[in-house]
Amino acid sequence: MAIQTQYFLLLSAAVFCIGVYGILTRRNALVFLMSVELMLNAANINLVAFSFHHGNLTGQVFSLFTMALAAAEVAIGIGIVLVLYRNFEDIDVTKAATMRW
Amino acid sequence: MVVDIAGFQVADWVALVPSLILGVTAMLLFIVDSIEPRPGTSSNTVLAGLSTLGALGAFLVAGYFLVLGVGQPRGTGAVDLFNGQLVVDGMSLFFVVIVGSVTALVTLASYDYLEGQEYQAEYYGLVIMAATGMSLMASANSLATIFVSLELSSLPSYALVAFLKKNRGSVEGGLKYLLVGALSSSVLVYGISLVYAASGSLQLNAVADALAGGSSVPVGILGVGIIMVLLGFAFKTASVPFHFWAPEAYEGAPAPVSAFLSSASKAAGFVVAFRVFLTAFPEVGGLAGGDPMVDWVTAVTVLAVVTMTVGNFAAATQEKVKRMLAYSSVGHAGYALIGLAALNAPDQGFVLGASMMHLLVYGFMNTGAFLFIALTEHWGIGRTFQDFNGLSTQAPLACAAMTVFLFSLAGLPIGGGFISKLYLLAATAQAGSWLLGAALIVNSALSLFYYSRVVKAMWIEDPSADLEVDSYPSSLYAAVVIAAFVTFALLPAFGLLSPSAFDAASVLFG
Repeated sequence: MAIQTQYFLLLSAAVFCIGVYGILTRRNALVFLMSVELMLNAANINLVAFSFHHGNLTGQVFSLFTMALAAAEVAIGIGIVLVLYRNFEDIDVTKAATMRW
Repeated sequence: MVVDIAGFQVADWVALVPSLILGVTAMLLFIVDSIEPRPGTSSNTVLAGLSTLGALGAFLVAGYFLVLGVGQPRGTGAVDLFNGQLVVDGMSLFFVVIVGSVTALVTLASYDYLEGQEYQAEYYGLVIMAATGMSLMASANSLATIFVSLELSSLPSYALVAFLKKNRGSVEGGLKYLLVGALSSSVLVYGISLVYAASGSLQLNAVADALAGGSSVPVGILGVGIIMVLLGFAFKTASVPFHFWAPEAYEGAPAPVSAFLSSASKAAGFVVAFRVFLTAFPEVGGLAGGDPMVDWVTAVTVLAVVTMTVGNFAAATQEKVKRMLAYSSVGHAGYALIGLAALNAPDQGFVLGASMMHLLVYGFMNTGAFLFIALTEHWGIGRTFQDFNGLSTQAPLACAAMTVFLFSLAGLPIGGGFISKLYLLAATAQAGSWLLGAALIVNSALSLFYYSRVVKAMWIEDPSADLEVDSYPSSLYAAVVIAAFVTFALLPAFGLLSPSAFDAASVLFG
């Protein structure tokens, strides 16, 4: 018997909330990027599950786009974390506060 | 598919030429850089000239297409490309005009600003790449293309804000922009996935058709999805609740990048918001009559009022001019949101058109104001209001231009900002939304206070003894003066451009 679609929705909502929790509580910039990755993948779960539910491939294809863009975003992110480390000798996001947070 | 442009039968992708020009220019910049790949060896003149020409080309072609009637009912009608994934219509061309003109001004000004910097080719490449993303955002007609083009404009912007990589402020601004941007883009994707869950498609017209069915639509999922999509766009337009990156990023970034982000990027965010909400969700929001399933018009009204108020009150308390301008740009996002908030007016095309015209005028006056800041950074004078004391004794032309920008931003009849604000006020009156109208008036009055502080410092205060302006960088000056001239010229010429905005807007309401 196939798993009902609403359970996928619950799963993705749970993953999304874990990501939000990580962003709100962690101070390490790399963990921050990982949390964002969790949130993006929560959306992918939805897209793939509802692609199956609706019987078209749109959602599955779009989830591939999301993955590629998430990778690109991390590439830029790591670069910025690197210059952050060079300037502030730390990757704690709360340390970079010369202006105001 | 064949369309008729100026009497020629051409392939339909020709309508996309303004965006293609920007994309090709970005590729050309990479080729020029790869001829002499060591940092700092490519000619700044060639790079700046090429990017300015590319941006100007996109601006002129888009403007010419608007005049010819491409994508508009009197010409070809909206041109659908790739099964409706992209669409070229009056609104998309109008916003390519805004993005192209802002980009041209920014790259022109960057020629002097980047003097002596190491990674010039990368800078111009990223600017034009982001501009390509923004012009595609204007044409995107499916949630998939919207997300891809939005990221194409966001990712280069993160790198551009952190461009001065040995400057702590720039890196800090870039980090905060990246963190908030990554968070909000994942919120946007999650919202898109929920809208897909409710409707079964990503193409905007198909979403609208699927949702028009009514009874079988899961309203809860759809409602959460629509609100999350709205929040994702709030980041791009620097509106509440994702506005707090703006002051950090604009203050830390090189000033031409601040100009670019606060004008072009904001306009692109708005065109996407307009298209998604008016193409995919009009019936859901109750615009076609009947009770709204998900009342996003009220949500946008709340966001507009809060954004205006937060932006202007925060701007009034700032000590640094660049940060003040950053908060004022948040406030202007609130004004532009009126285009979506006052839609229960009888003439919806007028409401949306007023907002589009405000974004056009804002593109020139706000870019100019940030480029003036670039000029002061070039001179090495400080960032606070006091540092600008008596600047007019040294640089009267630039100060006169800045005065035009600031008073036009405040809405005084010295530039196009006066008429566009008047139209926005008329729109709120038409919708009978007194809350929005009152917020617009109170906030404009407040903004006059903090804009005048800069004008007073420049013209009335005495200069401090060590104020010395030793160079007059020609391209920065040219960009500032052109922006000032256009801001001023839009006062008498407003009526020439506004019909195309109103026509483009009313098409969306069928």
